[in-house]
Amino acid sequence: MSEPLYRVEGLRYSYGKHFDLDVPKLVIQHGESLGIVGPNGGGKSTLLNLLAFIDAPDAGTIFFEGVPTGPESLEARRSVTMLLQISYLLKRTVFENVVYGLRLRGEMRDASERVREALTWVGLAPDKFARRMWHQLSGGEAQRVALASRLVLRPKVMVLDEPTASVDRQSSYLIKEAIERSRRIFNTSLIVVSHDYLWLNTVVDSLVRMEEGRLVEYVAGNVIHGPWEETRERLFEKRLSDGQAILSARGTSLESSAILDPSTITIALEPPQNESALNVLKGRILNMSDEMSTENILVEVVVAQIHLNVRVTRNSAVKLQLVPGKEVWAVFKATSLQWV
Amino acid sequence: MDYIWQGLQQAAILLFTLDAETYSAIITTIKVTFLSITGSVIIGVPLGFLLGYFHFPGKRQLRMVVDTLLALPTVVVGLLVYAFISQRGPLGWTNLLYTVPGIAIAEVFLILPIVISLTATAIEGLDRRLRPTLRSLGAGRVQLALTSLHEARFAVLIAGITAYGRAISEVGIAMIIGGNIKWHTRTMTTAITLETGKGQFSMGIALGVVLLLLVFLLNGALVLLRRRTR
Repeated sequence: MSEPLYRVEGLRYSYGKHFDLDVPKLVIQHGESLGIVGPNGGGKSTLLNLLAFIDAPDAGTIFFEGVPTGPESLEARRSVTMLLQISYLLKRTVFENVVYGLRLRGEMRDASERVREALTWVGLAPDKFARRMWHQLSGGEAQRVALASRLVLRPKVMVLDEPTASVDRQSSYLIKEAIERSRRIFNTSLIVVSHDYLWLNTVVDSLVRMEEGRLVEYVAGNVIHGPWEETRERLFEKRLSDGQAILSARGTSLESSAILDPSTITIALEPPQNESALNVLKGRILNMSDEMSTENILVEVVVAQIHLNVRVTRNSAVKLQLVPGKEVWAVFKATSLQWV
Repeated sequence: MDYIWQGLQQAAILLFTLDAETYSAIITTIKVTFLSITGSVIIGVPLGFLLGYFHFPGKRQLRMVVDTLLALPTVVVGLLVYAFISQRGPLGWTNLLYTVPGIAIAEVFLILPIVISLTATAIEGLDRRLRPTLRSLGAGRVQLALTSLHEARFAVLIAGITAYGRAISEVGIAMIIGGNIKWHTRTMTTAITLETGKGQFSMGIALGVVLLLLVFLLNGALVLLRRRTR
């Protein structure tokens, strides 16, 4: 059996006394697309820097294609490339930025063609953009030039740290298209961190969650944070800014957070009659996205200040004629909330 | 006020009639500053890069020494170099005293700290994302260092221009080392000092205008480059 792309064992990294990354085991296969979610400061970017061989761990080993590897391995660093949340462009033209990695590798034979191809993939017309200077680009264009600089290298692995955090919808769509194409044509593996759950779901095959430096199994769901109030019926209640409330079975404490699985929520176009579920919340559809490799659609419904992801089948979405902006009712039981 | 007005008129005549003595001072100044800036950039940019790029024990203390030397008085530099290259000094055999290269060498000592310090600051001020970006694009150690210097090129140019501004406007070294010898080592600043002392304002004003023009051009270049570094 061939070795996996990454095999991580006993990985540890510390920032002084305040933060410890601790990943006892992680395996990523060739061609896999792994998403990492989790709160800010949880260690996601630190893990990415280690997996991209930018930083060296304090302890533990990263086996890259079966070989213990670190930042000192130029060959490994040239197989893995990383895109930062807000990319840095060299103070040069767009063409010089994109060709830089090829120049380092001495692969200049068909460089012009490859640069044109990479720019086209990210939706930037080469004739229009190749000669532009770095300071003549918008934020979204700069991020796409940075992505083109990575795509042109045809890397084995692309590590993306919040690639769509600072770009508009159009750019985020183009970034998705480009990395999918690279995956399809060059079998590039992806490791992606993003807070954009809907976008991430369209890009990755599997998800893990990183909290306080630990990788934990990803539980698909909406996180409803405390504080809660206790009702007379001994339920926990979270009051929303528009007067509505989320009701849950009693939790461990009034400050706890609960996870609500998107599959346990249903969408209705009218407030349901004779409904046993205690939560019937009025909201509006903000976004919809295709859930990769399933027959489902993820619908993002905004209820007061809370964004709820709801999983519906494609048939239901068509039948209910769900579109962004539509007013809907999110329905779920008080027992659907799982306390963490 | 009349004598200032007359001085200005005569200055214009000296400049437009290509007066030999006036232009001799201008050419000597350009020779001296060209030599001194070339020398200090060749020595100072690599040293400034090393100081800004690498971390080593004693770096902070070394930086403090370099920064202190920024305020080196020109006459002190002139005096020290004079002590070395005068006939009685250890380097008297070089016969550099009262020569254009002699002034240039002394000016290198004056402006070298500026080039080193500002280059180090330029390297230290590079964007924090540059290193991970270059590493993730596959840069080795040498490529990382060279690209970092290339990225700081506008700020390094600012260092050079600032140093040039200091060299062109200094008077102490040119006076002590050059001796203000007419047709030979008389620079614009020493000529202005001498002519003003003699009450001959016209040449002083003519040279002052040229000096101001050069400083204005340098400042314009600085403004343009500062915009580039953002």
